[in-house]
Amino acid sequence: MEDRQLNSSGCGTDGGKCCGGGITPFLVGLVVSLIFGWWVFPDMIYSKKEQPIRFSHKVHMEGAGMECKQCHVLREDGTFAGLPSTASCADCHSDVMGSDPEEARFVNEYVKTGKEVKWLVYQIQPDNVFFSHAAHSLDGCNQCHEFKESELCAQCHPDVANSDSAPTHFENKLTGYSKQTMKMWQCERCHANENHYGVTSSSNACFVCHK
Amino acid sequence: MALDRRGFLKFIGGATAGILATPVVWKSLDDVSIWTQNWSWIPRNIDGANSYVPTVSKLCPSGVGVRVRLVDGRPVRVLTNNDHPLGGGLSSIAAAEVQLLYSPSRMKRPLKRTADGAYVGITWEEAETMLVEGLKKAKGGDKLAVITGDETGTINELFTALAAEMGSKSCFLMPGEAQPAAKAWELMGGEGQVGYDIEKSDYVLAIGANVLETWGPVIRNRRAFKAGRPHGETPSVRFAYAGPVQNNTAAGADVWLPIRPGAETVLALGLANLLIKAGASSPAADFADFKALAAKFTPEQVAAQTGVDAKRLAAVAQELAKAKRPLVIAGSEFGQGGGAAPVLAGLALNALLGSMNREGGIRALPYARKVVPAAMDRKALLQNDLVGWLGKVASGKAAAPQAIVFYEANPVYALPQTDAMKATLAKVPFKVAFTSFLDETAMACDLVLPVPMGLERFDDVDTPYGSGQVVYALAVPALAPLVDARPAGDVVIGIAKKLGADLGVAAFADALKAKAEARGASFTEPSATNAHVSSAVLPVNGIALRADVLSKAIDVKAPAFPVALAPVAKLNVGTSKTATPPFNTKTVRRWEIQGADLYVMMNGATAAKLGLQKHDRIELSNPAGKFTARVNLFEGVINDTVAVPAGHGHTAFDEFSKGKGENVMRLLAAGAEPGTGLSVWNSAGVNIAKA
Amino acid sequence: MSSFKEFKIKWGMAIDLDKCTGCGACMVACQAENNIAPQPDASNKLKSLNWLVVYELTNGKPFPEHEVAYLPRPCMQCGKPSCVSVCPVIATDKNEEGGIVSQVYPRCIGCRYCMASCPYHARYFNWFDPTWPEGMDKTLTPDVSVRPRGVVEKCSFCHHRFMQAKDKARVEGRDPNALNDGDYVTSCTEACPNGAIVFGDVNNPAHKVHDLVKGKYAFRLLERLGTDPQVYYISRREWVRRLGDNYLENEKVKG
Repeated sequence: MEDRQLNSSGCGTDGGKCCGGGITPFLVGLVVSLIFGWWVFPDMIYSKKEQPIRFSHKVHMEGAGMECKQCHVLREDGTFAGLPSTASCADCHSDVMGSDPEEARFVNEYVKTGKEVKWLVYQIQPDNVFFSHAAHSLDGCNQCHEFKESELCAQCHPDVANSDSAPTHFENKLTGYSKQTMKMWQCERCHANENHYGVTSSSNACFVCHK
Repeated sequence: MALDRRGFLKFIGGATAGILATPVVWKSLDDVSIWTQNWSWIPRNIDGANSYVPTVSKLCPSGVGVRVRLVDGRPVRVLTNNDHPLGGGLSSIAAAEVQLLYSPSRMKRPLKRTADGAYVGITWEEAETMLVEGLKKAKGGDKLAVITGDETGTINELFTALAAEMGSKSCFLMPGEAQPAAKAWELMGGEGQVGYDIEKSDYVLAIGANVLETWGPVIRNRRAFKAGRPHGETPSVRFAYAGPVQNNTAAGADVWLPIRPGAETVLALGLANLLIKAGASSPAADFADFKALAAKFTPEQVAAQTGVDAKRLAAVAQELAKAKRPLVIAGSEFGQGGGAAPVLAGLALNALLGSMNREGGIRALPYARKVVPAAMDRKALLQNDLVGWLGKVASGKAAAPQAIVFYEANPVYALPQTDAMKATLAKVPFKVAFTSFLDETAMACDLVLPVPMGLERFDDVDTPYGSGQVVYALAVPALAPLVDARPAGDVVIGIAKKLGADLGVAAFADALKAKAEARGASFTEPSATNAHVSSAVLPVNGIALRADVLSKAIDVKAPAFPVALAPVAKLNVGTSKTATPPFNTKTVRRWEIQGADLYVMMNGATAAKLGLQKHDRIELSNPAGKFTARVNLFEGVINDTVAVPAGHGHTAFDEFSKGKGENVMRLLAAGAEPGTGLSVWNSAGVNIAKA
Repeated sequence: MSSFKEFKIKWGMAIDLDKCTGCGACMVACQAENNIAPQPDASNKLKSLNWLVVYELTNGKPFPEHEVAYLPRPCMQCGKPSCVSVCPVIATDKNEEGGIVSQVYPRCIGCRYCMASCPYHARYFNWFDPTWPEGMDKTLTPDVSVRPRGVVEKCSFCHHRFMQAKDKARVEGRDPNALNDGDYVTSCTEACPNGAIVFGDVNNPAHKVHDLVKGKYAFRLLERLGTDPQVYYISRREWVRRLGDNYLENEKVKG
């Protein structure tokens, strides 16, 4: 009985210094969870992976003057080939051309063995998503915008045109998708934008993007 | 600083509030929801570049021309090939032929049967040694028999040449429509292979022949049907069908003439009677005899014998007479066992209609010359009667062979009076099956050798019976064999060598090349079809109508059974070689198969007469065999007849077909057709009792 | 009830029932195209899943006056779809040019209201996870996502072929919104050897189907429910047309 009285009065007199009272524990909890939630957690859920070959888009675009679509081709039937095969890289890199050791490694390990590079893709969508590269063309967008090709691609893809190495691939440990994978709201920046309707053939109908 | 309970709760409160203000909860929920959309056991889409391989289906008896779609070299679909002379759509077998590559019944390696009856996998080297040893014991004097299920391929030349080198002529095709037709055409004095120019006809009467489902190169038949029937308009080509059951051909035809099973010849003679009365004639030397025979088949007589309605018969005769380019196609409603007489009578009708050697009529197509010197050509092979021969072996009139080789044939399942045939085949000491699937016949063999499936091999389809023109279609592999299979042709060439025989071709591919050349085809240029069409026809001179043969053939005793039996053939349940393919179980009608039960059809009047109702369990029996089934009422069956869906009741294969329903072939007893001697089994009867 | 959208392009079918002989090739081609799993036992038609089903029709008369016909039934892609208005999560909608009723599988919660509301039984529930015999899943096409247990699915008029046809037109420099007749057809249309199905843009006079659906013998199933289907049937036989709706005995049937 006495103890309890003492305790309860003690708290009142100590004015928040005692652990049971005041706002401190709350604040501590708040700060801890904010730090965890904003800094620790986002890092924790991804595993970091690097590309098997350090690839410089810059060298190809600035150095060799190439365009995105030269390697990332649309096939004749309108489907998109995505990443180039080792065979198509070998059109130029049949032998080592430059002094970069990574290129030499690519030629030796892949071109000469005919192996495909297991590139990590930043934008793989789930099976239920249909995406048409043919539909997202410069012709369509540049009716109003003034995109360069690489700028158009960078609306969805990491902007790699000026980078000497591909960005780190963050893979979500639970879902397996890359961190940069576009979410539906990102598609809707354009697809739900009514200014686009009637100008391009874009719409926000479900089956435009789902299969 | 110690933490008491209240402080702890405050901490938790703060942490909770904080967490809610971070992405932790929302991101986790989102990730979990995405995670639940991609279960590891749900297959994922695998993207890639499309490519297409034009080929022809060796699996489907229609020999349909197709395009195989591959994604990064992985076959995913069999698609329509409209440019192909045998294409224009898909059959229910070919539509999922790619998927059948992964059939659970697929043979994956050579198997041999051990003493205790179990099958064990062996290597090809062991298998070939075993095969050579087995065949060595069967040298000379018809001690080796070959049964092939391929009616159109050059592969038969290699097997028959091997047999010839071994001193045997016992080579047989599985029963089909081609054999009775070849017999009939030969009896009439026709040359080559009889052809039907459906495309240019304006009136097609099918007597028995299931021309829109199983008869001949059926996808090509159906393309002609499609062309003659513009959407929603009066058809420019009329189709009439005579048969005991309102089958798929009857469903598409403008007129259905219900006739009793096995009454095709009499019906044709009844039509001849009416046509001759209306002034039709033929320059045939024996026309007078034929006229005299036909005169006996008055509409009343025909109505009594076949059950046909005399008025409907007269209407069809009138339509035939009026048509510009009528064509009569006669055969068996289930594709076999009909005998030569119906075809003969049907061809005689064509002669009366002036349809011989005419556009939209009957054509005589040249056979291709053989390319393996020692081989039996197609004409000779068609003359051998498997069912008749097995009957002789069973009764001891012919010696049982020492060895038998089956090539893509499943006689243990597919022959009439199945139980007896199976017992006869069991007498042969050494049996080998070349097959893609572990079927009933393979399960009765000592050695089973896997062959690549049609989509995995070079092969050919040379002018299937029913075609109106010479067609040579090459089957081209769309992918390498998925299993340890070897092309049968090359295996045979190797085996022959080991037995000391030179077949005269170094590889099966050479035989195909030679055959293509023989047909005037060259496949050096890339092609959208890999098929060649030729307009070559033989003259049709001095055709006889053979009333002598017909009058004997129709002189058969009425079946002594209360109920006649009409098997119903449909491609959707597969062939005896494929059984019901996985995707086809859903196409089987509700009251055709329920669980393990087979439903048989009869009309309401017949059921009432037998005291039966829908779903009643009955036993069908005759001396050939018996089984139980359930009753389905279907008014599209002629009176006093039970229609039994064919192609069920497999005892081998997989969960998609094994143990479902019953095999109607077990109830069909084979007899000999008077006048031609051909085996027939299209007029069986059964006793029906409640079970 | 909300208002329904009108579309410039309206994909539709005209199925001539006098040409269908019930062979089932369309059903098989549909399964292979749309990654539908096979079923070892399909006896129970309530639990067998097939976007396209061929029904057997009878004129109901006894032998020998009996007639038979077959009716392939895809999704009707109704102009006023009852499934859309009952879906609580907007997993199904009709909002895209072309008028195909969409079904987004990951969004579906499996409540099956749409199945109850569909008068054509065109919708199917995945009672089980789809399974293929070993290795057969390698033959799946990349065009259609595989649906897990617990969601509803239905015929999409092979919508992926629409997308592919548009992409092909784009690459070839043609207008993707003005496809030629035949550029886009469904798997069943292509597979049918009898040519019983004609597929195209009902609103486009250059497409064959445009005139066919206006024909004397064209009708739609349960037309008077007001669902406005985009699938039309054709039959010169009065009894077949009569089966297309619930007619009174003495009521006259169109055509």
